[in-house]
Amino acid sequence: MAGAMTLEGLPLLAKLAVRRNWLFWTIWIFVLWLTTVATVAAYERVVPPGANVQVTMAALGGNPTMRAMLGPPFDLLTAGGFTMWRVGTFVAAAAAAMAALGVIRATRAEEEDGRIEMLRAGAIGRHAPLAAAISVASAACLLLAVLIAVAMAKTAPPAFGALVTGLGIGLVAFVFVGVGAVAAQLSESARAARGVALGALGTAYLVRAVADGSSESSPLRSLNWLSPLDWAALARPYAGERLWVLALPLLLGLVLIRVAFVLEDRRDHGAGVRSSRPGPATAAAGLSSARGLAMRLQRGTLIGWTVGIVVFGLALGSLSDSFGTMLQDTPDLAEMFKRMGGGAQVMRDAFYTAMIGILVVVLAMLGVSLLGRLRREEEVGHAEALLATSISRKEFALSYLVPAVVAPTVLCAVAGGLLAVTEALGGGGAGVVVEMAGAALAMTPGIWLVVGLAMMLHGWAPRWVGLGWAVVGWSLFVVWIGEILNLPSWLLKLTPFAGLPRLPVDSMNWTPVLVETVVAVALMVIGVVGYRRRDIG
Amino acid sequence: MTAAIDIQGVRKTFGTTVALDGLDLRVPVGEVHGFLGPNGSGKSTTIRILLGLLRADAGHLSLLGGDPWSEAPTLHRRLAYVPGDVDLWPNLTGGEAIDLLGRARGGIDPARRDELIERFELDPTKKGRSYSKGNRQKVALVAALASDAELLLLDEPTSGLDPLMERQFTEVIRAGHREGQTVLLSSHILSEVEALCDHVSIIKAGKVVETGTLADLRHLTRTQVSAELRYAVPADLRSLPGVHDLVVEGHKLACQVDDSGMTPLLARLAEVGVVSLVSSPPTLEELFLRHYDTETP
Repeated sequence: MAGAMTLEGLPLLAKLAVRRNWLFWTIWIFVLWLTTVATVAAYERVVPPGANVQVTMAALGGNPTMRAMLGPPFDLLTAGGFTMWRVGTFVAAAAAAMAALGVIRATRAEEEDGRIEMLRAGAIGRHAPLAAAISVASAACLLLAVLIAVAMAKTAPPAFGALVTGLGIGLVAFVFVGVGAVAAQLSESARAARGVALGALGTAYLVRAVADGSSESSPLRSLNWLSPLDWAALARPYAGERLWVLALPLLLGLVLIRVAFVLEDRRDHGAGVRSSRPGPATAAAGLSSARGLAMRLQRGTLIGWTVGIVVFGLALGSLSDSFGTMLQDTPDLAEMFKRMGGGAQVMRDAFYTAMIGILVVVLAMLGVSLLGRLRREEEVGHAEALLATSISRKEFALSYLVPAVVAPTVLCAVAGGLLAVTEALGGGGAGVVVEMAGAALAMTPGIWLVVGLAMMLHGWAPRWVGLGWAVVGWSLFVVWIGEILNLPSWLLKLTPFAGLPRLPVDSMNWTPVLVETVVAVALMVIGVVGYRRRDIG
Repeated sequence: MTAAIDIQGVRKTFGTTVALDGLDLRVPVGEVHGFLGPNGSGKSTTIRILLGLLRADAGHLSLLGGDPWSEAPTLHRRLAYVPGDVDLWPNLTGGEAIDLLGRARGGIDPARRDELIERFELDPTKKGRSYSKGNRQKVALVAALASDAELLLLDEPTSGLDPLMERQFTEVIRAGHREGQTVLLSSHILSEVEALCDHVSIIKAGKVVETGTLADLRHLTRTQVSAELRYAVPADLRSLPGVHDLVVEGHKLACQVDDSGMTPLLARLAEVGVVSLVSSPPTLEELFLRHYDTETP
């Protein structure tokens, strides 16, 4: 495999990869670094000195919802340990997404567009593009690690804890450099490669959420060693560092990179590992309209998301089983919930509310992504080909808008219901399933609002459709860490989801639900009208 | 004759770029009309406006008797379009793309589709991403030509096709012409336009600068004459009316001649005695160069 000749031109390609993607890396690294640093700064405020720190922290860290979302807590009594728990695993997961997407963007995406072919016609070795992408991505992970370690060493001593935090996050991301490199070899399309890489990331997240959320006595608990995303936390920065744990991501990353090179050796340029097979010579009956085409193009995405959401709902729902056990295990926690007036009931409601809160934001991504295809089809000229037929613009726009509204809505209700299946089977009765499906549906106007905004942009300002993603990204940020940062509350409420009733913790409030629905529908109508009026292509 | 396409004074700007600057174009029903111009002269913009994809800023437009902007889907049942740069859905096969585009237009004749696939030697089972440029172009051509459209809008339709396939394309268009199909063929390949079109419009910087039958346009240009004479070339040739750019080399000569200058020139050459004589009609290249080469008057 990788002899010297196959790497010919590596420095040149590495320079090209930096030149083409420096903004991508800069934004990711900056946002992730800032998230970490801001959390350290927030610690003093979140945990005011003099309060009953031990009890508060035990309650926080013992809460299975928090553990499932954030990871295992080790020492929450220092700013560093708290930061690692509160955002460390989240930042590691986001950095992993950055690494995988960054590698795919410089390899398979470029190859699919035919640009690597031109380069390879020069004195460029077979593995040089992949090696360049891996080098740049690894350097980015290292840079993030160093930046986090340096900043935390200053604000959250001791320095060794800061170093392990930074290295842990950087190395978890390095594993996904390997995942991205392997995914880029498997299929001919960058889209499929991203699906594989993000699917792997989602699976790793789910495994660790279930493991960390299980009660201490559960055998599932130790499964968190199987998820690379937990390795940063398991190295226990600020809580008796175990540096050897970090050998795991380093080794796994190197193995995956090696696998990627072997796979690249065995495939043709432009091809995946499996060569593409011939397909049908004629189109199926359903492929005869804009709607038929849109369904066909989005089929894979919809199937993948449905499977993911069903697993998400069932797996996380299974945690609700352990609330009773959990309270027995942690008397401090039980005491605190009793004082809050509810015991297991409060914990259960908080759990459902938190999970549904994440679920709707994630499903808003699905909506924006499904609708985003409308723009991509225009950019590559497919819209032109179809609109030159008897398909009207309204039909064409609706063929993407309708699934973008319906699919997330249905999946939201399904996932909400599935979260409650474990409780229903454990004696809660079928009514719980319906109740949680309804709780999830109460949040869907937020998804509709995001999709409506995106449609409005598609119709009137197609270059700005990325703003839809910005809204979703901001919402995710707020759900995860917004509340511990000292941001003004109006800023935190500036998401499409903040105003909606958070069942079952809150009670139902129809006003915001109706208002957001009406605004969403209005935006969609305005968007479609704009799409019918503007220039195409 | 009614016009399939009637464009009067159409303007279109993109920001500060003027793409069309008062364009006039008329294509009567049943005509194969060549639309000539170099890259960036406004050919594709014109066709996209005719398809209702872009909205004209000013001017009057009529397509098959209707308004291309407001009646687009209805009018599109009666026309077919081939873009010059075809991008296919990467995970759909060529056959699926042909059927999709055909059905979206309002139906496709399976027998004709299969005949064309065979004619253009296209493998319809390959996925869109694995076709070469020429084969992508064939997919779009088959999809368009398999329809029974009254009007074909073809935007540099043969780009990427090999000469054999270009000939197949020419034959199919001729057959359609015999059955009364109207065609607007935008191109910068002049031989293709010469082979197919009876009327030609030349577009320059968003304006039609010349339009007419090929015969009309040829009238405006000079015939190229080269001859070998028995004796030395007489010196008075240079003073004959209508003879230009005379080049003499011993017994050989070459010159450009106006239509009116042909008779006196041939008479004078015959007096001297002609060994061989070649006279070639002006090609579209020369028509083209006249309008685009600013050096030539």
